[in-house]
Amino acid sequence: MKVTITLRGTLRKYFGEDKERVYDVPDGCTCDEALKIAGIDYREIKNFGFVSVNNKRVMIDDRLNDGDTLKAFSKVSGG
Amino acid sequence: MKRLKFNKVNCIGCQLCAQVCSAYKEGEYVPSKARIAIETYYDRGNLKYADHFCILCGICAKNCPTEAITMDDHITVDFDKCIGCGICAEKCPKKVVRIREEKAYICDTCNGDPKCVKTCPQHALTFE
Amino acid sequence: MTMLGYQNNVLRINLKDRTFSTEPLRMDFARKYIGSKGLAIRYMYEELKPGIDPLGEDNKLFLTTGPLTGTPVPCSGKLSVAAKSPATGTMNDCSIGGHAGIRIKFAGYDMIIFEGIAESPCYVVIEDGNVEFFDAGDLWGLGSHDAEGILADKYGIEYSIMSIGPAGEKLSNMACINSDYYRQAGRGGIGAVMGSKKMKAILIKGTKGVKVANIEKTTDRILEILHDDVLQDDNTFVFDEGTTAFLEACGDGGIVPYKNFSEGNDPEWEKYNGSVLMQYREGKRGCGSCGLGCGNFLKIGDAICEGPEYETIAVAGPNACITDPEHIVKFNEVCDNMGLDTISTGDTIVWAMEMTEKGIYDFGIKFGEADKMIKMVEMIARQEGVGADLANGVKYCSEKYGGTDFAMQVKGLEFPQYEPRGSWGMSLAYAVSDRGACHMRAYAPNEEVFAASIPPYTSEGKGQMVYNLAEFNAVKFSLCICDFWGTISYEIMAEMLTMITGEEWTAEEMGEVGRRVINIGRAFNQREGFNRAHDTIPKRLVKDALGGQGPAAGQKIPQEAFDDMLDQYYEVMGWDKNGMMPDELIQSLL
Repeated sequence: MKVTITLRGTLRKYFGEDKERVYDVPDGCTCDEALKIAGIDYREIKNFGFVSVNNKRVMIDDRLNDGDTLKAFSKVSGG
Repeated sequence: MKRLKFNKVNCIGCQLCAQVCSAYKEGEYVPSKARIAIETYYDRGNLKYADHFCILCGICAKNCPTEAITMDDHITVDFDKCIGCGICAEKCPKKVVRIREEKAYICDTCNGDPKCVKTCPQHALTFE
Repeated sequence: MTMLGYQNNVLRINLKDRTFSTEPLRMDFARKYIGSKGLAIRYMYEELKPGIDPLGEDNKLFLTTGPLTGTPVPCSGKLSVAAKSPATGTMNDCSIGGHAGIRIKFAGYDMIIFEGIAESPCYVVIEDGNVEFFDAGDLWGLGSHDAEGILADKYGIEYSIMSIGPAGEKLSNMACINSDYYRQAGRGGIGAVMGSKKMKAILIKGTKGVKVANIEKTTDRILEILHDDVLQDDNTFVFDEGTTAFLEACGDGGIVPYKNFSEGNDPEWEKYNGSVLMQYREGKRGCGSCGLGCGNFLKIGDAICEGPEYETIAVAGPNACITDPEHIVKFNEVCDNMGLDTISTGDTIVWAMEMTEKGIYDFGIKFGEADKMIKMVEMIARQEGVGADLANGVKYCSEKYGGTDFAMQVKGLEFPQYEPRGSWGMSLAYAVSDRGACHMRAYAPNEEVFAASIPPYTSEGKGQMVYNLAEFNAVKFSLCICDFWGTISYEIMAEMLTMITGEEWTAEEMGEVGRRVINIGRAFNQREGFNRAHDTIPKRLVKDALGGQGPAAGQKIPQEAFDDMLDQYYEVMGWDKNGMMPDELIQSLL
């Protein structure tokens, strides 16, 4: 299935010039697995924040559907 | 010859330049005695910049009545000759010369490696 | 023996007699509370007897710096502005940006205390050791910006100017104090305290210095920390986007308040988000000794502000059902000039919108009515029409007219713009904060929403979580260091304090100071009669399921869950089941 991945905040650098990238991922793939395919392992990134799918926050191990947009945010400090 | 350059678009008005300058020149954090003074301020709906820094124009040296001021790649003030008359301060186009206790205090570029440039967090100051 | 970095000097000003004196700083207080927030609260505990009228002659206004203020330690330029709050009756410490903080230090003071009430409106000019009083008859009634412009023309840019607008003069519970035009000591009616003293403005200029040991070595090390730690992109996002960055994160997280906290996000957020607003940016600004420069100077149509911050965007946008970015900036501008806190003013107006739409009381404004919202700001500031009631805030108004269930406030301070049903720990943070509902004590969304780890819709572990967050901010704001240096650690804090003061501080002591600062604030409030009965949340959070389509839709916080979080927090703090501090604990703070 296809998912679009967008990075926010300080994670944007991992995609260089691209605002977003589309990936082919296995059916039922989790957010974590999809990010790994995109070359991002959240465990390795100190400032990794959270993920949202279709503009709703989800947990990192939640599963994706075909056509979903996955967003990964860095932590934001302050208030 | 290298000179200080100020890119106002980058300046956030933090005044770290003056604080650090004064640390190395005066032994205290006392920006009123620094050899540089850059501030930003609002004036009725506009953001303005008050940038006072030495541009090595040499006008102070040319006008010093006692020849206390010399300039090669930086300004030097000979305190034995300086009488604190204040003409250099008056003529300085960047209004950065300070007269204190009858002596003129002028930026000397920290021997060609200006501390203010190393400090500026937003690269508003360069030496080129 | 005094520590370096401090001026060891407090300026005390009597507004009634137009006299002033100086005295040494209480170094014993400084050793326990360091500076800024903590030091201010300790002084308030000492000098403000319980039961005084916050708008009377016994309240005092404390402007407090820390040992790092006036040094190149990055993000150290903020100033604590503290007093007893007329809105809540608790202690109140605000944090104002700009350049007043460093100038107070360069004038030779750690702290300036204003006492008494002037005979007639005045402004005070402080230049190093000299203090002068001037009549402010011509300035009284003017907007804060208008007054600041007149004073800046007269005195020049070397003076920092702190001023109030008509809202402070008229003693609104939502009045703020401005500086550098667009920076505020915002909340809890701090502007009303200044107004009650009939002080229109404070001008500060300083030509003195701050002394530290081994200044060259210290400065070299500070510059290393600036470039290696502060200027990493984890912190510099505030330069790029300011706090507009929170809009998308909060939106996806389901904690953006919509329609007076009825829903958790706004599908139309892209009409007024950072990408839209920053197109109108004309310049950048930071505070004294900043490195990050979070201030965005914007002009859109005829609206101008430095900002707008997330709080203002959320309260004037989705919380009011408005999507026009020019309106948001205009709301920001008018609040600033009138001298009103955007958070409390916005929350009060959107509550009035709901009251009107529900037919409970007609305040003459409904959701989405942008022009009326701007007019209402002026009416509140000048206390005209319905503005006279609304100027007191939602607690007062809801007790008078009804609608207490959805008057979103704790202890009389209106909610910051985070929906607690989407971040349950935030409901605890709002309830136990030292000055009413505040997001700058424990910023729960950082752990529950903007992170993968802690689930938001449960009470489990939230007592400890909220404490850890509150402890960190309490000591950070006592140094003081700005919120936006997010990557700072206790180790860096201790290293900088050690370098600047010349005395040994450890990372462990930082946590101890944080805990102590939370406790001294609680002790002040306890003495004023506060306990568990006041650590409450509005019924809307308990009774109404959150609406909308966001991830938190359908959530509400069961009373048992809230009670459980409160119990946990009291246990972590060592307070009893009624939220009261034992005597020995209070004595240990003094």
